[in-house]
Amino acid sequence: MSEQKQKPAERTLPQPPPNMRLLSRKEFMTLLIGGGATLVLAATLAQPLDYFAREIAQNRADGHGGDPNFHWVMVIDLSRCIGCDYCVWACQATNDTRDDMRWNIRVDDETPLGTTFHVTRPCLHCAHAPCVEVCPVQATYHRADGLVIMDYDKCIGCRYCQTACPYGARSFNWGERNDENPRVPEWGQPEVPRRPRGVVEKCTFCVHRIDRGLANGLMPGVDEEATPACVTVCPVNARFFGNINDPNSEVARIIASRPTLRLREDLGTEPNVYYIPPEGLEA
Amino acid sequence: MSAHTQDIRQTAQFKRLGLRHSSPLLRLWLGGLVIALMIGMVAAAQVLINGLVVTNLTNQLPWGLWITLDLSSIALGAGAFTLSAAVYLFGLKRYEAIARVAVFIGLLGYSSAMLALFLDIGRWDRFYHPIIYWNVHSVLWEITLCVILYTTVLFTELLPVVIESSRRLRSVKLLVRIAHFLHRLMPVVATVGMGLSLLHQSSLGATYGILAARPVWYSPAAPVLFILSAVAAGPALTLLVTILSGKLLNRELVPADVLEGVAKFVGFACLAYLYLKLWSWASTNYYSQVPEQRFGVEILSQYTPYNFTFWFGEVLFGALVPAVFLLWERLRRNRNVVILAALMIIAGIVINRWNMTLSGFVIPLDWSPGVRDVFTINSYEPSLIEWGAAIGIVAYSWFAFTLGIRYLNLYPEARDLEVPPGATTPAPAPEESSAPQPSPST
Repeated sequence: MSEQKQKPAERTLPQPPPNMRLLSRKEFMTLLIGGGATLVLAATLAQPLDYFAREIAQNRADGHGGDPNFHWVMVIDLSRCIGCDYCVWACQATNDTRDDMRWNIRVDDETPLGTTFHVTRPCLHCAHAPCVEVCPVQATYHRADGLVIMDYDKCIGCRYCQTACPYGARSFNWGERNDENPRVPEWGQPEVPRRPRGVVEKCTFCVHRIDRGLANGLMPGVDEEATPACVTVCPVNARFFGNINDPNSEVARIIASRPTLRLREDLGTEPNVYYIPPEGLEA
Repeated sequence: MSAHTQDIRQTAQFKRLGLRHSSPLLRLWLGGLVIALMIGMVAAAQVLINGLVVTNLTNQLPWGLWITLDLSSIALGAGAFTLSAAVYLFGLKRYEAIARVAVFIGLLGYSSAMLALFLDIGRWDRFYHPIIYWNVHSVLWEITLCVILYTTVLFTELLPVVIESSRRLRSVKLLVRIAHFLHRLMPVVATVGMGLSLLHQSSLGATYGILAARPVWYSPAAPVLFILSAVAAGPALTLLVTILSGKLLNRELVPADVLEGVAKFVGFACLAYLYLKLWSWASTNYYSQVPEQRFGVEILSQYTPYNFTFWFGEVLFGALVPAVFLLWERLRRNRNVVILAALMIIAGIVINRWNMTLSGFVIPLDWSPGVRDVFTINSYEPSLIEWGAAIGIVAYSWFAFTLGIRYLNLYPEARDLEVPPGATTPAPAPEESSAPQPSPST
């Protein structure tokens, strides 16, 4: 029974010579024709596929959105900060985050002399952001104006960006959000929709305010409506925001005239948040 | 060569062990696995319905048991590329006797990893995004693409076996031709497979090794350690299941010299792994005065069982002792010793992948510019649902393996192969000849 079954197969397959075992001529031709057919198919599909190709090209990691004439930076004056947490709460209200997924946090540190000072940390919008480099789907990317932004529609929730971020600036939506925001309405109203379950999120420098403000002829860092909530709420003016490309902007003047430090400069991430150190701490 | 046609003829002698031939022990085993699978399905449903909130993972420690599981199962699937390369690239033809089962185990390992990842990503509905949105700079993207392509390679390698093993499929002329063709194409497939494996097995180590902000991970040795340990542990698992199945089925599935050859190879791979591990440890722990590294090591030894599990689980019992077992000829001859050594290596690599994942996360990131220890040390223990899903995924691979060994011709030399082409009557069937013999080790 089985003998009969194999005989035809044996006959249809010419035995290749022992020194050319890889492919017989017939198989080579089959491969060639198959390859040709694939190419023809690809060419036919090129038109519809072009849509995706353009989509991909548009979403390349660099220069996706944002006005290249601006480069947004933040300056945080640690010698002024009193640790009042207003910026933390304003951010929570504006961007609608829960206590355990704050985009902007405060820690209390001390100088070598033993004086306590307060560090608040938004996303640093690094020029060489590890999160952007490791994301397998380009869900987080650089804009031309220096912002590091999340695309919540692309994110697959692998959390490699959380692993890679040296500053712990990223939060994950572990579950569906149905909590009540404890900072609303005292510290403001949510200005952006809540993020869906399963994606990573982080501080955006209030990108919605920047983009809407610029569209309405306002200047971020100068006009409150166009400036991040954490900056406008600060009661001691410890936070500054603006366009470092403009030498007359407040941030450019501060960075040019005062010693500043950036967090973990040894890592080469080139953050776009500058800190004015407190007394007793070298820049 | 006529070997291919002979292949098929010999395959005709392959007898599937249907469930009718099941012993009470097998029924108990399969029953247990079915229960485990059900536990896994309940846990997976919890994850898919409620999201990852059911895990004990946090923003500070976002990867845990499931990442350990998929790192381990990919490493343990490395027997496929190692033994395929031995057969089809280095021309060690006799290892074909064990390469098939290695490919099958590889496929189970990779599919287990994919299952674990499917649960682990927050948006399982977007699992295909890496295929569409390429970030060529990301090692994780490269790993995803490699794993997808390599799983295809494994399918290609296994397809002829599936066709061979089924009388119904064998009767379809086209399928037989495809099987022949794929078999002839094997050197190419094995080369592609080895390339892909070398890439992603080491990139998995690079996932941790490239992160400059994590002092105990950041190391050029990480990718190489991952590939070396996988090359040791993959064939070790192949050996283990081959010997165990042989004992349970009371047959010699693979010729003794092949088993011993693989065992010896695993022993040498363990030594290579140990050698690099020694220098990696020496340069990052013993000789290093880098404050961050020292601080990290201090935290690990003070707050976690890392030191103990590293030295005893990974080094001593995970590699050194099994290397001695497998390289000492008198010990290697004893199948029970090989079983023990393989078990130790497998345990060692699982412990290593767990330690690797956890160690980097336990040590908090210190980005604050002052001198105070601002950040708390992170800790993690998997939740019941995480355990449940992991148990289900492991049960899946064991269940599939059990079925595979009964229905697929995974051990082409398990029968009497020495049928001279001119012989009028075939030699006695191997089942009859091998049954009365005592197993070689005892």
